[in-house]
Amino acid sequence: MITVQGLSHCYKKGGPAAVKDASFEIAKGEVLGFLGPSGAGKSTTQGVLTGLLPLQTGQVNVAGFDMRHPKRELYNLLGVSFEQSNVYAKLTALENLQFYAGLFDVPTEDPMKLLALVGLDHVARKRTGEFSKGMKHRLTFARSLINKPDVWFLDEPTTGLDPAIAHDIKGIIREKNQKGATIFLTTHNMQVADELCHRVAFIVDGEIRLIDSPRNLKLQYGERVVEVEHTADGALKTERMSLSAREDQQRLNHLLEQGTVQTMHTKEATLEEIFIAVTGRGLS
Amino acid sequence: MKRILVIVKRDIKSGLRDFLVVYLMLAPILLALILRLFVGGMTASPLRVAVLDDGSAIVSELSRLTHVETFSTREALVERVMRIDDVFGVVVTPEGHELIAHGNEMPGTDIVLRNVLRRLQAGEAVLPVSVGVRDINYGMSPLKLQGGLLLIIFTTVLGGMLILLNLIEEKMSNTISAMNVSPASKGEFIIGKGLLGFATPIVGSTMAVYILGFRDFDIAMFVVSLVSLASISLVVGFLIGVTNDEPISGIAAMKGVYVPVLASVLGAMFLAERWHFVLYWSPFYWGYLSMNAILLGEATWRTIIVNSSIILAITAAVFAALRPRIVRGLR
Repeated sequence: MITVQGLSHCYKKGGPAAVKDASFEIAKGEVLGFLGPSGAGKSTTQGVLTGLLPLQTGQVNVAGFDMRHPKRELYNLLGVSFEQSNVYAKLTALENLQFYAGLFDVPTEDPMKLLALVGLDHVARKRTGEFSKGMKHRLTFARSLINKPDVWFLDEPTTGLDPAIAHDIKGIIREKNQKGATIFLTTHNMQVADELCHRVAFIVDGEIRLIDSPRNLKLQYGERVVEVEHTADGALKTERMSLSAREDQQRLNHLLEQGTVQTMHTKEATLEEIFIAVTGRGLS
Repeated sequence: MKRILVIVKRDIKSGLRDFLVVYLMLAPILLALILRLFVGGMTASPLRVAVLDDGSAIVSELSRLTHVETFSTREALVERVMRIDDVFGVVVTPEGHELIAHGNEMPGTDIVLRNVLRRLQAGEAVLPVSVGVRDINYGMSPLKLQGGLLLIIFTTVLGGMLILLNLIEEKMSNTISAMNVSPASKGEFIIGKGLLGFATPIVGSTMAVYILGFRDFDIAMFVVSLVSLASISLVVGFLIGVTNDEPISGIAAMKGVYVPVLASVLGAMFLAERWHFVLYWSPFYWGYLSMNAILLGEATWRTIIVNSSIILAITAAVFAALRPRIVRGLR
């Protein structure tokens, strides 16, 4: 659905490249997470993929359209949710969606249905100038769905939202993906990426260092370790045991037979730990 | 076309919720109504007289002819004459009459009053008098004509201001990015934003000239000239809109740009014709010439087409020079 070959982008002629020779593909119905710290080149890549930034070097094809000269019809197929909310302050939430729906040539979603989806139906007729930052962010997210997009670009979709709303948003992303939407998700939130993405790309200083599925990365970089809390002589003790070492396996079986185990957690590596291991950089 | 109308509808809806935009839309009409009050005063100025009431017959005789106020002391009479409106003071003297004037009275009316007083003194019958004043080369009140012309120029500037305010709103809310990932092309966006900048001067100026009492002019020539004149405001409005991030700085920039432009209009009014070549660079100079001829009923299609073509050529040159900056600002 998306093919990127040798993409590079500079904001100033002769200046440093914000993205350097990036190549990747996203299959139809796949969710690719673009992970990296601020300034890594995530938004620049998304900017080129959505046509907001001109394609300078390389080849990019989105939904069958060459992004060197993108045709306006392409945008009937795309949905873009921006990190920075961008809605008309003097229009109501409903008017914002109705206006945007009027720009498309394809059947659009019912604006009220979308507002209900993101929990804004009760303020549908309120001007968005009176909205909180989180409400504007949800409206921006809802607007990106108005044309029932085949390819959906999400830039930090849960940033700044309270956990309950963020949970709902993640649910909507999963549902749309199950219905066939291809999703390009940029985030620095590893947990979100882990939950939603089929594959993740680590980008640092404009370079893609690695692309793989979260599961493969955890298997490759994580340790097969379990952390056990158990009681011994009336005191609470914590032990880390390898799942592959025979001695540790016997010790774990012994504790389980004794019935003194209180908690037990597998300790596979998190995406953040893998990111640091691969790039040598943190995310914040 | 559908998308252009959607953009125009949004701008109107958003504009009607903004006090500044509503004011800009109504300003030509309000200013025309105010100007109309002054024009009325200039075109119909009855002779008014203040008289020192010493029991002579002059009060009753003058009262037959005009509005007369009486005063018991000379000081009170002089104080009345010195007020801002046009009132002559009359005092009966042994030699005849003394006329007291402030100096701001309508030219020529003192001659009329002296004539009336001389006839009264001679015992001649004086019929009700009606006086018309006509300057050479003017078919109508200069205030009405020049005020109307300035109002038309001002209204075309307001069209540009509406565009810049709409663009700054888009920039402040970062909604241009959202427009850029919709099927609306840049052309549709520019036309959608620009239509209001055209419609406002056409509607505002037409209403303004009708309020000022202009009737016998060619409306087709008027609209053609307005459209050409509004085009330069549109280009300047777009440029300032995309290069400023908030309304106050945008309006300040607009004022800065229009000072020399409006100076060219004042130059067209007051400079001797042999110096007019220094104003040829200004599209508003050509617009002023067209509108002046149209309102005086002296315009020909040839003049209008030539002047409008010059305005459009200047606009095209300005747009060509500024196009890269405007397009960059719309990203």
